[in-house]
Amino acid sequence: MSAGVLKAEGLSKSYGSKQVLQNLDLTIQPGKIYGLIGRNGAGKTTLLGILTAQNTKDKGEVTYSGQDVWENQAVLDHICFSRELQPTLFSGQNSLKVRHYLHSAAIFYPNWDQAYADRLLEEFQLDPKKKVCQLSKGQMSMVTILIALASRAELTILDEPAAGLDVVMRERFYQLLLDDFAQTGRTFIVSTHIIEEAASVFEQVIILDRGRILENSPTDELIDQFRYVSGAETAVDRVCAGVEVLSRRTVGRHTTAAVRVDPGKLAALEGAEDVDVSPMNLQNVFVALCGHGDEG
Amino acid sequence: MRGTLNDQSLIYLQIARMLEDDILRGVYREEEQVPSTNELARGYNINPATAAKGINLLVTDGILYKKRGIGMFVSKGAEEAVKRKRRDAFYDGYVKPLVKEGASLQLTGQELLDMIRRAIQEGEEA
Repeated sequence: MSAGVLKAEGLSKSYGSKQVLQNLDLTIQPGKIYGLIGRNGAGKTTLLGILTAQNTKDKGEVTYSGQDVWENQAVLDHICFSRELQPTLFSGQNSLKVRHYLHSAAIFYPNWDQAYADRLLEEFQLDPKKKVCQLSKGQMSMVTILIALASRAELTILDEPAAGLDVVMRERFYQLLLDDFAQTGRTFIVSTHIIEEAASVFEQVIILDRGRILENSPTDELIDQFRYVSGAETAVDRVCAGVEVLSRRTVGRHTTAAVRVDPGKLAALEGAEDVDVSPMNLQNVFVALCGHGDEG
Repeated sequence: MRGTLNDQSLIYLQIARMLEDDILRGVYREEEQVPSTNELARGYNINPATAAKGINLLVTDGILYKKRGIGMFVSKGAEEAVKRKRRDAFYDGYVKPLVKEGASLQLTGQELLDMIRRAIQEGEEA
């Protein structure tokens, strides 16, 4: 019943006195592309590391298909977490070569698709003989994308794959991701800070804020709960009475409020007199939920 | 179909509207096949589930139907169905905001009607 379901319950993690994850629950259903978004330091990479048993946890449980992931190779065979490459290793430069990474991935992932890896290597024009410390930020991202896709793992996780890629390459990445997904229907979790261009790729979006899961919802259903209401301050106040207001900004006497409404109350809000009601995109929603007043 | 998804409305609604536009313009005629979920997903870089949601909306409205094992097709009478749907939406989406904006500019009903008549006339002359 839980085949392919990744489940985290009661996860907590601290680094020293800083609590990074706070009693967090998360369920990832198979066969969907999840987007993971959160501000810098929200705990995204820590969470992904713990979900894939690459990082230790203080409390809680992580299971895949009902089995504990910790030191469980049979389960980890199905999971690929393609981490960001680092230009430095320990105290020195990362002088491992691209081919070393590809070689270990080929050994580590039982479903590794070498032909696919070769095609991507060619397309990305990556030189396998190059040292990681000689790669640009974008080329490092390409290596992590290549490993993630060619792993053909049932559950594949990419952390900031778009970092450092130019816009053409980012679009190409989303195409490759969707092509792969159309063929395999495997589960992806993709974290990114470039929210708007990825929004249409995510069936489901997870918002992580200060170590807690704020949302794990179908992207369009989430976005559709939010609106901007703008007009005279008094009119906005009147219309927004009894509605959850996330932020408001006043210029002169004109106020714009970011609000969240139950689907049932949307029609009433949109029909309100004397104010303009406009939709939000995912990036607007994210800022409204996670801006905590410092968006200006 | 328009080449890009760029307005703020939900993507599955934009997909449905793009297909409707194409049916109105005769890009896809009745009993012709429309792109599959995967083709739409690929063509617009969107999640296939989103594309499927747009297509399902049109199935519910009787505009598209599924031929088992082949794909999605334009229903008989789809063009009329789209027009009917658009006319209903036209009142809410265009006429009401037009009247509202007119009222905020203190245009009288008569002035508004005169403007509409003039626009119709100019449209006919052009």
